[in-house]
Amino acid sequence: MKQSAVDAVIRGLKRAGVSIVCYLPDSLFKELYPALDADPDIRTIRVTNEGEGAAICGGVFLSGKRAALVMENSGLRASVEPLARMGLGAGIPVVMLMSYRGELGENNWWAIPHGITMEPVLNALRIPYRVVREEETIEQSILDAYNWSYNAYYHSAVALGGSIVR
Amino acid sequence: MKRYDCMTRLAARLTDELVILSLGASVDEWYNAAPHMRAASLFQQQLGCVTPQALGLAAGLPHRRIVSLDTDGGMMFNLGILATLGNERPKNLFVVVWDNECYQSIGGPPTHTASGRVDIAAIARGCGITQAHTARTIEEFEAHCVAGLAAEEPYVVVAKVAGAVQPDIRRKHSDGREDKYIFVRHVEATEGVVIMGPSEHN
Repeated sequence: MKQSAVDAVIRGLKRAGVSIVCYLPDSLFKELYPALDADPDIRTIRVTNEGEGAAICGGVFLSGKRAALVMENSGLRASVEPLARMGLGAGIPVVMLMSYRGELGENNWWAIPHGITMEPVLNALRIPYRVVREEETIEQSILDAYNWSYNAYYHSAVALGGSIVR
Repeated sequence: MKRYDCMTRLAARLTDELVILSLGASVDEWYNAAPHMRAASLFQQQLGCVTPQALGLAAGLPHRRIVSLDTDGGMMFNLGILATLGNERPKNLFVVVWDNECYQSIGGPPTHTASGRVDIAAIARGCGITQAHTARTIEEFEAHCVAGLAAEEPYVVVAKVAGAVQPDIRRKHSDGREDKYIFVRHVEATEGVVIMGPSEHN
């Protein structure tokens, strides 16, 4: 990611009121994670799998603070169980920011499943999402996701793809 | 050692703490054992989510004591949370693991702890949680509650409890959504914050 895109993500998270970020690092967002760690206004919590991160974010919601789950889109599959139970069973929302692995242009065979499954899994969970490929729309898309989730009390997602992460 | 007896001892020590608890019969037991904590307890049905949610709550409210009432099945569903606790080192999180060595709510098939080889407290210590203990008597359990509720580091007590459920207890009627609203309104009232506020007029 370019520094300008990293900055746009962090601006968006801060404008949305986020103070805690749970993440499991990936390669497409590799410049984002140290920037989040270094930001004095954001506490990062490194997790062992993304489902654990989703559940921690759920707990942060209950505290009145705002959290984000940042991950590769493969992490969505690891998060399905807690997302389904928290979102559909209790109305506890998690806002996700994920890198779009496996879209057209992907050059790793192991990442193909991530592209094929991401949108169907989001749709199966009825999670609204936006795929962002223009840096200028990153910040507003993150704000839009928080606005939606804090009115729906349900999950939403922003997937960063295209030249933003390549 | 009966889980219900442990709950009544723990409940007697709680006032303004927040509690996240696991699924199955322990929900109804806690509902009856700690009637003064009903609004301060989030009753969830989420294997593997309980202690992670409690950590999130502890991170968001670092001045408030958070209690996680987890289970052997729930903790083993995501052992990774112990590694996360070991590194995050929350100063306000007390974790109780009700270890009845079985999946009680579906009739009692054994969990891995039933073999006698798998030791959740030892796994926690291996994750750097120095204060991770096993309690086999009600006196031991109560002593760990005293220490865990005052600890300035993550504290885990694995309570070895019988597989039996307390008989003739009142069932909780609310679902996950109602429970969430009750809990959120309690957090809002006691913290002076707005979590689920009014809509905009536009």
